[in-house]
Amino acid sequence: MANERLRLLEDAEKEIAVVLQCAGNIVLELSKDKHNASFLDRQLVQFQTSINRVESELGAQIRYLTQVATGQPHEGSTYSARKDCQMALNRAEYAKVKLGELGRTCEAMLEQQQQQQM
Amino acid sequence: MATQRVLPQSKETLLQNYNKRLKDDIKSIMDNFTEIIKTAKIEDETQVSRPTQAEQDHYEMHVRAANIVRAGESLMKLVSDLKQFLILNDFPSVNDAISLQNQQLRSLQDECDKKLTSLRDEIAIDLYELEEEYYSSSYSQWDSTDLPLCEAYRRRDSWASRDSSSSSVQDEREDADGTSSQESNTQNQLNGHGTVSAEKP
Repeated sequence: MANERLRLLEDAEKEIAVVLQCAGNIVLELSKDKHNASFLDRQLVQFQTSINRVESELGAQIRYLTQVATGQPHEGSTYSARKDCQMALNRAEYAKVKLGELGRTCEAMLEQQQQQQM
Repeated sequence: MATQRVLPQSKETLLQNYNKRLKDDIKSIMDNFTEIIKTAKIEDETQVSRPTQAEQDHYEMHVRAANIVRAGESLMKLVSDLKQFLILNDFPSVNDAISLQNQQLRSLQDECDKKLTSLRDEIAIDLYELEEEYYSSSYSQWDSTDLPLCEAYRRRDSWASRDSSSSSVQDEREDADGTSSQESNTQNQLNGHGTVSAEKP
């Protein structure tokens, strides 16, 4: 849900860039001797659509935040779960180290035995 | 209590500020763009000479274009502030993110512990066989007070079937005579810390 709202805000940022782009294209086209009327119409429609979309999206986000926001900080955390998981990984790492030592000890014993037989 | 009253008002003030900035910036873009289009219209009758009027229109368009860009940049800043406000104050999404993260961490922990437990069980089986092999060989140098794992399991099985067969009882007697001290010492060790208990016969 949070990612969705942040994604909508990023889309609003892209729409703002489109608004400025369309305004620039319209002024550029008007500066020419011969204007392309269809191009001007398309750019104008795009400009109006984008600016309305920006206004509606940002207004909706502000209304949502007015309903949801409190004056208090959020005190939740994932510290305990993260710590438990870290300890489990430490246990696994420790077991791996000990098994490695055991394996090396067994290999050393086998080599010693082979040398004695020879 | 006065401090608590101030905080919610600042949040409301902040959001009203955001609203005002949004409306002002959108209005600025629309008004300046409309004025640029109006200024682009060529008029036959002008109050000043044509070059002067052209220069004035040129300057006005520059200023209005700069205003449009400034309003656009102000809108980008507003979006950035809204993102920050959302991350800090959107409690439903923060709660969801925290619970999802906790769930992922706990599942990882459970998986890790499950694998360690299965590894422990496999090693215990192998250890049982190895101990049986070692303690029944001539190389073992185990202390009479130590009770190997295989011996403990064997005794437990023999105690469970003591009433069913006499041969097992005779074996138990022989074992009991030879290892009664071991048993009591084991009990002492189990009772803790090497102290002599009252259970010693």
